Amino acid sequence: MQNLDNLKDIWKNQGESNIRFTRNDIHSMVQKKSSSIVKWILIISLLEFILPNLVFVFTDFEASNVFYQKFGLENIMKFYAVIHVVIILGFIYVFYKNYKNISSESNVKILLSDILKTRSTVKYYIYYNLTIMGVIGLHIFYIVYKSPQFLKELPENSNLVMVWIISITFLALALLVFWVFYRIIYGFFLKKLKKNYAELESNGLS
Amino acid sequence: MTKELEQKFAQELEENQNIIHKVCRSYTNNEADHKDLFQEITIQLWRAYPKFRGDSKFSTWMYRVSFNTAISLYRKSKRKVQTTEIYDNLKELEFHDYDESTDKQLNLLYKAIYSLNDIEKALALMYLEDKSYKEISRTLGISEVNARVKMNRTKTKLKNILNP
Repeated sequence: MQNLDNLKDIWKNQGESNIRFTRNDIHSMVQKKSSSIVKWILIISLLEFILPNLVFVFTDFEASNVFYQKFGLENIMKFYAVIHVVIILGFIYVFYKNYKNISSESNVKILLSDILKTRSTVKYYIYYNLTIMGVIGLHIFYIVYKSPQFLKELPENSNLVMVWIISITFLALALLVFWVFYRIIYGFFLKKLKKNYAELESNGLS
Repeated sequence: MTKELEQKFAQELEENQNIIHKVCRSYTNNEADHKDLFQEITIQLWRAYPKFRGDSKFSTWMYRVSFNTAISLYRKSKRKVQTTEIYDNLKELEFHDYDESTDKQLNLLYKAIYSLNDIEKALALMYLEDKSYKEISRTLGISEVNARVKMNRTKTKLKNILNP
């Protein structure tokens, strides 16, 4: 490594950078807002906590209640609502705790791991949302499609199996669109972090 | 109190800013990105400054926060310079030619470092700064043995880039 050792001398004797900042420049820099990846992850994560629940804002509660009453779904929906709120609060608590742990003074590996852990919490939250949407959807289909009211309103030549297949296909497509959307955001922000973490995790012998 | 702290910080940073410039020049390939990264590192240093107790040297602490920002926190802008340009320039380098000006050699060294991955960049910088394996392993959060293995690989890679 003779050549590199020679370069060490050049490195050590390099003069000051052509770009220099005065104390005033530094004072104005500290007033500016960070645009770090963590800040973006926080913004995106908060949106991900809020957005799935925004569906309720646009819900016509009166129409929903009429539908729930018609098929006897009120208690089941109340049960899911309570469970959902408790689980969301749990996720937000874990997310906030992970986020507070992120420190630029940690070593590189711990910092990367802490950021990825914070993001993982939101990833699990997304998976939870997709699962609960699927479970509630299937549960509603099951109760509605076997109810006498529905069967009575069903045209005579209709095939119930086809109704099930179409319903499940639409539900699966809706979940797939959500999943792809989250994957795109997830990949966009974490590609570099994951690559660097994998580089540190590897033992360098491969 | 905050004003005093900010003044002390600005003074220390102004005096030691070359450390950050070395990191910025290694992790970016144009002036605008260099300035962006410098600003982000300054913000991160300022946030962490009240907790800095002087257990380590100010310069060591600056290195740690600078690497963390460059590797984990900084998101590059869309501005891009074709990396092939770097390789084309490197091919022109006659590494054993001692008539080359120091500035040109330094410039080519920076370009070679830029072509490494983010972790290797940190390793190359710490090698050139003569940091001990203990400090390297603490900064990156890996074992000393792993740091040695990775350092040897980085040095070989750097040497191959500089001697195409």
